[in-house]
Amino acid sequence: MLGERAAGRISFAESIVNEAHSIVTLRLILVADLLSVFSPLLQRGFMTKIQTGTVVKAVLCEQFGLSPEYVQDRIKTIFLDGKAVDDIDSAILKAGSTLALSGPMPGLAGATLRREGLLASFRSQITHRGDKKDYPTRVEGMITVKIFNLLLDEIGPVFLKRGIYLPRGDFQDFFNNIPEKFQKEFGAAEVNGQKIDLDDLQKMDWLGQNDTVFLSVDFDAPTSN
Amino acid sequence: MKILRVNMGAEGGPKAREEPMGEFEGLGGRALTSAIVAKEVPPLCHPLGADNKLVIAPGLLSGTTAAMSGRVSVGCKSPLTGGLKEANSGGQPSQMLARLGYGAIVLEGKPKEGKLYKIFINKDGVKISPDDSLKMLGNYDLVEKMKKEYGEKIGCISIGPAGEMKMSAASVAFTDMELRPTRHAGRGGVGAVMGTKGVKAIIIDDRGTTARSPKDSAKFLEANKKFVEGLKKHAVTGQGLPAYGTNVLTNVINEAGAYPTKNFMWGRFPACQKISGETEAETEKARGGLPTHGCHRGCVIQCSGVYVDKDGHYVTKQPEYETVWALGGNCEIDDLDVIALLDRLCDDYGVDTIEMGATIGVAMEAGLAKFGDGQASINLLKEVGKGSYLGRILGNGAAVTGKVLGMERVPVVKGQALPAYDPRGIQGIGVTYATSTQGADHTAGYAVTANVLKVGGFVDPLKPEGQVALSRNLQIATAAIDSTGMCLFIAFAVLDQPETFQALIDLLNAFYGLNLTADGVTELGKKVLKAEREFNKKAGLSAEHDRLPDFFMKEPLPPHNITFQVQDKDLDTLFNW
Repeated sequence: MLGERAAGRISFAESIVNEAHSIVTLRLILVADLLSVFSPLLQRGFMTKIQTGTVVKAVLCEQFGLSPEYVQDRIKTIFLDGKAVDDIDSAILKAGSTLALSGPMPGLAGATLRREGLLASFRSQITHRGDKKDYPTRVEGMITVKIFNLLLDEIGPVFLKRGIYLPRGDFQDFFNNIPEKFQKEFGAAEVNGQKIDLDDLQKMDWLGQNDTVFLSVDFDAPTSN
Repeated sequence: MKILRVNMGAEGGPKAREEPMGEFEGLGGRALTSAIVAKEVPPLCHPLGADNKLVIAPGLLSGTTAAMSGRVSVGCKSPLTGGLKEANSGGQPSQMLARLGYGAIVLEGKPKEGKLYKIFINKDGVKISPDDSLKMLGNYDLVEKMKKEYGEKIGCISIGPAGEMKMSAASVAFTDMELRPTRHAGRGGVGAVMGTKGVKAIIIDDRGTTARSPKDSAKFLEANKKFVEGLKKHAVTGQGLPAYGTNVLTNVINEAGAYPTKNFMWGRFPACQKISGETEAETEKARGGLPTHGCHRGCVIQCSGVYVDKDGHYVTKQPEYETVWALGGNCEIDDLDVIALLDRLCDDYGVDTIEMGATIGVAMEAGLAKFGDGQASINLLKEVGKGSYLGRILGNGAAVTGKVLGMERVPVVKGQALPAYDPRGIQGIGVTYATSTQGADHTAGYAVTANVLKVGGFVDPLKPEGQVALSRNLQIATAAIDSTGMCLFIAFAVLDQPETFQALIDLLNAFYGLNLTADGVTELGKKVLKAEREFNKKAGLSAEHDRLPDFFMKEPLPPHNITFQVQDKDLDTLFNW
């Protein structure tokens, strides 16, 4: 069951890159207070395009625009395809990879999983050992990114502004469960560049026959006070 | 400081006497509970018999103004593991007992007539009185009754119906700052032993006392300042834990593929973000609860919280990672409201949430309920509170339940249920589970400093021996920290920041007028572990018991498809120092 879901995501991601999918673009302009509404999406994982065949550090810094200091000081726990990463200069992101980013964690387990931690030997069987193969580099591909805990507020907006790909079902599931405060504090929205009001947005007719939503969020809307 | 001994089986009724610390001078917390149990409890006694003792001990720094110093240790021979047990709790009573001058309370003997007693302690002395009106009260109702009787400035140590029924999963409850019975010395059935002593509640009123005074106030204040600074500046203790609590671990452990799911069948729970710490904190905030809250005065980490229902009414304290896992992911339950209610019931009945979650997981695999059925879980737990035949089986933990139901996959070591990290994913934790004197225990090997790591020389991190040596060092250091009364969550700041560990040592030195070093801390930890290990040997626990259940070596755990690989011969070297 777990393997089937991962395999499904990989083939879906590949087909987006191969333009075998129809994509509708939704841009939201919201107040910063609504970031928490997207927390479930960011935790569960979203797809984003990168230049694959590149090491984790290069993707984080050069492609996502995070500073090397931030990566070093704040992103203390990293998983690549479920394995704990110590060396972000040797772990390579390929199409279909899952990259999970977290701040430092408490407890023995948290210390054990931490990047370059003293207790890394405790989890040696699930440590990412670096990639020795050569992969084609700079080929556009899709990866899944998950963001946890302190990083949600800190870099969640970066990815949401950059834009994330969601299968239609995932988007509908998310939007159908969106908290009330989204309606109360809603700013503005555009579908494929055209303005859309909240009522029409919620009806979701704008999805049409498209099976993928490219969602971007600008937290630039002025607050009401 | 002094020891309060209460002989519950004395001729003519229970009697209390105070005595100096004597040979136990300089010990606190786990060091004290283990020393007393090791010396005074016959290792082969029946855990529910008169010869067992229940020792409740604040830590070396409890009752002072040192930050984080409010933990309490509860020790006895465990009815669950058969070995020497120390269970640890937060809450207010530790500070209060220490300010009243008590280094420990020791409950001894067994009342002859099956009566139930309450013990009231204040600066004027100790009063023991029978009170059968308290029989079978849940901890919440009990505390309300004690508030009406003694006022709102008290602290309570109590057992629920599970302790009265002497169930091996029974806990001892400690009230928090809001006078709710939400903190528990949960593991190992310590509540059952308190039940055998006929003590339903210990009520503490420390009005008229002051904080304990250090030998060198100036140095103590300075050390405390540095200690607090260190805790606040660290990302885990200063930001992550206050924001999300311990349940911040759910997403990360799940991602590592080490989140035991469906009675340890899988290493990932697909719906984990629905019960993650991030989601829990958001839910609490949206409903008017509180995601940042301390379990005792003087806590600066504030990893606890208050969980409310959708109408904003109090349900329980913010469920911890272990609780959310045990009663949630392990049972495939993805509803925080269900988990919160289960947590509340555990607190009220006085049972260990880890043991109960593992037990329900075993029961679900056995077919008593479907995995993911929250209402069925609630119903099973209610059987425990009722004391029905089924409830008595479940309330005695996963090992007993597994045996009765004919189950092979029973995740226990020395009879105690495994906590929320699968040892196949994080094998070093498996070493600790297997070898700890406490049974499967995630907190037994918790803290380390760079200094401690260097003791014993260099170890190759890729070899199994590397993991064994590391686990050894962690267990030693943890035993030492458990003796101070400090919350174990200081460990992370102490691990990363040598100056913060030094501040902890300086606190001890300034308070007691000592010259302890890091090596001295190590020696204390070794002494504690040695005493526990020797007791366990005499109680009949041998190397054969330092093992994980067979299925961990045979069943590969998805998604990484690995088994536990540390060899028995390596596990057997852990206590070689």
